[in-house]
Amino acid sequence: MPETTSAKAPASIWEQNATPRHRIQWCPGCGDYAVLNALKAALTTLELTPSEVFLVGGIGCSGQIRNYLNGNSFYGTHGGALAYALGAKMANPDLKVITLAGDGDTLAIGVENFVHICRRDPDISLVIMDNGVYGLTKGQDSPSAGLGQPDLKFSEEHPPFLDPVKLALASEATFVAQSFSGDPKMTTQLMVEAVRHPGFAILNDFSPCVTYNKINTYDWFREHVEPVPDGHDVTDEEAAAALIVEFERRQKLPVGVIYRHPRAKAPAKRLPLWPRELDNVDVEPMLRGFR
Amino acid sequence: MQTNRMKLLIGGVQLRDGVSTITDILGRLLTRAGLYVMAVERGFASTIYGAHQYDPLVVSPDPPLSWGDARVDILVGLEYDVNPDSKVQPNRDTLLRHAGEVRDGGVAIYDSSTGIVPTDDLEARGVRVFPIPARQIAQRDLKKEVVKNVVMTGALFRLLGFDQDETRLRRLLEERFARRGAALIDLNLEAARRGRAAAEAILKERGWRDVGLRLEPAAGGPSAVYIGGNEALAIGAIQAGVRFYAGYPITPATSILEFMQTHLPHYGGRALQGANERESIRAALGAAAAGVLSMVGTSGPGLSLKVEEIGVSGITETPLVIVDTMRAGPSTGMPTKPEQGDLWLVTGGGHGEIPRIVLAPSTIGECCPMMRDAVRLSDKYQCPVFFMTDLNLSEGRATVREEVFHENGRPAERHLLTEEDVRGERYARYRFTESGISPRLVPGTRGSVAKINSTEHDEQGFVTTDRPTRVAMMDKRMRKMTEYLQHDAKPPQVFGTIGKGPILVGWGSTKPVLLDARERLRAAGVDAAVVHFTHLWPFPTNLAKPLLDRGVPVVVCEHNFLGQFAGIIQAHCLIPTRRVLKYNGRPLHPSEVVRAVQEVTRNGAGTVRLGGKDDVMVEVTLDA
Repeated sequence: MPETTSAKAPASIWEQNATPRHRIQWCPGCGDYAVLNALKAALTTLELTPSEVFLVGGIGCSGQIRNYLNGNSFYGTHGGALAYALGAKMANPDLKVITLAGDGDTLAIGVENFVHICRRDPDISLVIMDNGVYGLTKGQDSPSAGLGQPDLKFSEEHPPFLDPVKLALASEATFVAQSFSGDPKMTTQLMVEAVRHPGFAILNDFSPCVTYNKINTYDWFREHVEPVPDGHDVTDEEAAAALIVEFERRQKLPVGVIYRHPRAKAPAKRLPLWPRELDNVDVEPMLRGFR
Repeated sequence: MQTNRMKLLIGGVQLRDGVSTITDILGRLLTRAGLYVMAVERGFASTIYGAHQYDPLVVSPDPPLSWGDARVDILVGLEYDVNPDSKVQPNRDTLLRHAGEVRDGGVAIYDSSTGIVPTDDLEARGVRVFPIPARQIAQRDLKKEVVKNVVMTGALFRLLGFDQDETRLRRLLEERFARRGAALIDLNLEAARRGRAAAEAILKERGWRDVGLRLEPAAGGPSAVYIGGNEALAIGAIQAGVRFYAGYPITPATSILEFMQTHLPHYGGRALQGANERESIRAALGAAAAGVLSMVGTSGPGLSLKVEEIGVSGITETPLVIVDTMRAGPSTGMPTKPEQGDLWLVTGGGHGEIPRIVLAPSTIGECCPMMRDAVRLSDKYQCPVFFMTDLNLSEGRATVREEVFHENGRPAERHLLTEEDVRGERYARYRFTESGISPRLVPGTRGSVAKINSTEHDEQGFVTTDRPTRVAMMDKRMRKMTEYLQHDAKPPQVFGTIGKGPILVGWGSTKPVLLDARERLRAAGVDAAVVHFTHLWPFPTNLAKPLLDRGVPVVVCEHNFLGQFAGIIQAHCLIPTRRVLKYNGRPLHPSEVVRAVQEVTRNGAGTVRLGGKDDVMVEVTLDA
């Protein structure tokens, strides 16, 4: 890792224009708190200001995070976060666009966006606050339910676990990392790297739901997460795939950067929006074909 | 001699026979010659290849009142072959389906390459029939089958005495094929000459001096373009400042996406083909939230998928222009046939109550200026603005004077705060104001942040269910619509004197046909007026009721089953409406409207349905 970051004592600038701490509506012990702290620390490390940050929240407990810190934010429909983020980034490449959504939002109702945004590779980051359940509606299975339970008998009603890391790699994502909110220092570090990545960066953060997920608890994750080994070549797609297979075989969950391979892209400019940028349009080139 | 005023119908096998090629050549050449062309109905099918396609085309020395009735002066059939599925051989769909539409003494031209078609019925009615072996000439003599359409064009021009020295056709070909060399231009001109000669030979053989129809260039006509509604509205959008467009391929909205992909980058913008309908509108909302004037275009099925986002635009107060190029529904419906069945979807679609504005241009010429207004309204009122066309307006073509694109072509005024405006204060995205319009700060502007929220929120944009705040916020959003009605809603266009006879009411593409029907009714002694709406929602009751509540029959003519606009009028003006409805996939014809209005005024019909098994079906309702 290139530098050390601080997971504690976020700068006060991120506390302004935000729901006060005592009004935050997450259960005590929720994994999302660590993500919030890590995000503030990462934004501080990146020396960003709130006005250049554009936070897009998914629907669910996790998406509330956008109001718990300073920064521009947008909240739309369930599953839509990545598509709003795409448009905002295409409109204004100067914005630091960070999408914060849950596993249900990203992998179920929003999976159509997830797959295609991986292909499009806009310079935005996605933090999946992955807890395996729909917490806000009181604990129904999400696509990442069943994590670590390969021996279950599956049915149409209860299909097996969908691994966002595998899906991201299969969808040609250019940055794929995984973290555990029980290790906020690493989460912070990976967030910094995700935002710095010049393309679509996915960070799947295991953020335990202390109320509804009685299997994938903090203790369970501590037993199962294991850092990506030092020798792993993050630029090698086959190595990434092999690493996943190897961890699966040992029933472990890799944390760290799994794949990072920036794609060459044409530079983009901010689209005209101010009156001085919207001059009278010369319609002649558009009319020419109709004479 | 009938000069410069006629209706043609050109038919053939879709894609193979190049029906659109001929109508496009005709439309452009005649527009250049100072004439007006209206080819609004496009009879194509939802397949790439093989279906029967027919394009009616009206030519006039002045802007034509309407596309007229089904009756045509000239029928051009481009099919040449045999269809094993057809009992009547050889397969001549254009002749088989449309011969009855040729007026007595009219003209029929068809491709006789594989044999002569029995046309005794036509000839008995004085129709002059011209079997032209166009494909044979193209294939055998010129070794290039594709020029068979130019052979037909040449024959047609000979009969109409148009462009006899070929200078006009030559210029068009030179522009079109400039890069592909002189040989191709010469080949096309030769094809036209062969067509001319073939027509000439038949005239001589039959001893006809002419066909009684003639086209002559009109001197000093205004400079004009031959353009479709989709292209015209796209130009208006770019002029007004739209710099982000997103769409997903869907008939008949696709040509907006293609036009934007071609032209928007030259003005610094971007056009995105979404992975689906929802990605399109969501990306457009993201771009709009970032401050760029944004637009999406789709048709009914796509709009159904986008409905969830109408509410996002409404409650987050993110401006967005949504074009709905209506086609026949429900569900997949008839993808290549027009309808006006989406009005209730755009006025009421989406859960909850959403501030929104709905505009509908009534001609291709209105598309560009009205789109500029739609963009302006979206930014001013920070809400979704629907722009309703239908397949005829979108895919149809017409001669439009160029000044339409030049007058008032300035970009829309923007309403965005700057860093100076927000310095030293805590910006509130949803500040309560008298007008309901909150000053807007675009994310990325230094000095403050905007919290944009689809959950009910307080002035700062934070989630709330606090009762007074909820009520104040709902009232604020809806107050914008009152503001719109006071300052920007336009009254319906009125033609004739109201109160003497029945009032024909319409919206969207039906205006030309209502005006035509009005002329015919007046000639028959019925003093009808036309009231045509362009600003549909919020419904301008204060502007409409004084016009419509006059104790005379209000006859609302629409392309749908229920009479959706009639229902809106009834609900808002508290007056009964009569309904003339057509939903068989073809546009209204003036003669049908005349008959229907007579059923209403003389026989008290409540609802008249057109174009089914019987041409006119009357329902007498008790409540009307």
